[in-house]
Amino acid sequence: MDPIVVVGSGASGVHFALSVLRKGRRVIMLDVGYTGPEAVRPGDTLNGLKQNLPDPVDYFLGARYESLALPGREGEYYAFPPAKAHVLRARNEFGLQADGFAPLYSFGAGGLAEVWTGGCYPFNDTDLSAFPFGYAELAPYYAAVAERIGIAGTADDLAAVFPVHDGLLEPLELDEHSAVLLRAYARHRQYLNERLGCVMGRARVAALSRDMRGRKACSYTGRCLWGCPTQAFYTPSVTLAECRAYPEFQYLSGLFVDHFRVDSAGRVRSVVATSAGGQTQEIAAGSLVLAAGTLGSSRIFLESMYRDTGKMLELGGLMDNRQILMPFVNLRMLGRRWDPNRYQYHQVAIAVRSADAGAHIHALLTTLKTALIHPVVQAFPFDLGTGVSVLRDIHGALGMVNINFPDRRREENRVSLDAGSTPHRLVIRYRPESGEPERLAHAIATFRKILFKLGCIAPSASVHVRPMGAGVHYAGTLPMTDASAPLTCTRYGASRDVENLYFADGTTFPDLPAKNLTFTLMANAARIAEAVF
Amino acid sequence: MNTTQLGRECRSYARYLIGEAPSAYVIEKYLDFHQQSDLSSTLTHDRFDWFLARISARGPFRARMADTYASRFRKHSLVRGKLALTLALLECAPPSFEIVDRAPGGGLAGAVLRLGWQALRYALVLAVSAALFTPVRITMALSAER
Repeated sequence: MDPIVVVGSGASGVHFALSVLRKGRRVIMLDVGYTGPEAVRPGDTLNGLKQNLPDPVDYFLGARYESLALPGREGEYYAFPPAKAHVLRARNEFGLQADGFAPLYSFGAGGLAEVWTGGCYPFNDTDLSAFPFGYAELAPYYAAVAERIGIAGTADDLAAVFPVHDGLLEPLELDEHSAVLLRAYARHRQYLNERLGCVMGRARVAALSRDMRGRKACSYTGRCLWGCPTQAFYTPSVTLAECRAYPEFQYLSGLFVDHFRVDSAGRVRSVVATSAGGQTQEIAAGSLVLAAGTLGSSRIFLESMYRDTGKMLELGGLMDNRQILMPFVNLRMLGRRWDPNRYQYHQVAIAVRSADAGAHIHALLTTLKTALIHPVVQAFPFDLGTGVSVLRDIHGALGMVNINFPDRRREENRVSLDAGSTPHRLVIRYRPESGEPERLAHAIATFRKILFKLGCIAPSASVHVRPMGAGVHYAGTLPMTDASAPLTCTRYGASRDVENLYFADGTTFPDLPAKNLTFTLMANAARIAEAVF
Repeated sequence: MNTTQLGRECRSYARYLIGEAPSAYVIEKYLDFHQQSDLSSTLTHDRFDWFLARISARGPFRARMADTYASRFRKHSLVRGKLALTLALLECAPPSFEIVDRAPGGGLAGAVLRLGWQALRYALVLAVSAALFTPVRITMALSAER
């Protein structure tokens, strides 16, 4: 079966690869693999960078000011850091046409999880009810991945919704605002639990609270968004580097995989990729594992099927988490100073029971520490001068709830290829489920009540419903099922259409709970690697 | 606009936003941005927008008047873009980033008093700026129609 060819170096690809490498298998990973700059001045805090860099504007806003947030981008409060621009750098061969969906995709080494915020929330049996396996089957892989990447967290009220697996590190140091929120929750716990169906606790995040296997513990420089300078915050490029230490691992970057070729027996024979210069390469494959993300893997599959059979297929069931951003002001924090040298991403998580039996809406509470404030100030209902003055008083009191909603497979949400374009563009069509506006309005009202109970005000005018696709948790186009059918996969991600083809990414998820799926992507990829190879 | 005018604009905006003059580095970056980019290609820029931008370059008080008016009636105007640029540069560069971030003292009471004063001042400036600029805007719109 060797070599195992893996396409993509994102969260799924690297954990699949590491698992099979540990079993002594030979792996060729094909990847476009754009990389970013090295971390600058790793010992500096964020303000230290502003003070010490010779050209801080170049670092924070970019050489072409690409991270400057100008008026007209209402609802988005973060400027994308130039140091991460490579993650979303386009590739000419990949064309896209989307209707009702605003997708992001990555050709960067490490994939989209290079810009994640580290939330690691295992799916429980309710979340996995549409999967052909339950939590017990995934639990050892959650623990194994936790041991690889380092997850800080604890067992608290959220354990009722987030299973507690082995391998958790002690939590990170809490910032003052998050501590105030958790104390308020403790005071009103009974009301929040019983009346609003809300449980709250420490976030579980892929960041090291102590040194682990050559990586240093978080040094609280406030630089998470701009790229952790010490790798205390986990991204898949850490595991990619680990894979590259294996002699059996071959990493071929700069290659855009267009399609695979199928032999007369219906098996993948080779993979066809193009280099940046346009040269075509054909790489022989014993087995092919697609881990290019749901959109990337779907495109490769559709293109390959078209070339093999002449048929333009369509894949239904595309999913993503709808997200709502809800800024808030914590009245107990008004006028308090804030410490910029803290862990920057969310440290508190919330789960709220939804109308569906057992299902939850999942939310992350991020308190504002370091950030570029010019996008935030523009969102205030004042002139910018007043906005700067107001922000000085409320900076330590500001926070953001990122509310995530579950999605389910519906055949009308389709991915296909545009036969009229060369190369073929990926065509996405997505429509939300009927009744969604009412559900969102109900959830917004519930979260405003929760925040109010916690001593916070969330102005309704600032609530922003992000477009579908902005959640970047794509899944569901070739689902794992027990029942055999075309355009589905087995419980181990094996295609039922091509014999030695496997999907190790979200393509095979038959359902999408509200929780960030990245941790489950990693665990599922490790599960497939262990079970099949 | 030439570099002298742009420099004057940047100084006016910095004094308005943080109460202090910008560093030479911030002015250099402000000029560099205008050499590389054309804000008027992405933001609204009719005659009235240019009028607001010209007025705002004449000192911090006029910048406040123009910005306050724009914050309500012209959110995507050129002057808002130029001010956002200036704020972004100031918050990235020493020593101005410390002024942008400086937490005032006084605890909760001080914060509430300051927030009340800022809201009141905003309302007053908005009323004055609306009284001054609305006739100008209407006149310009009418003359453009003719």
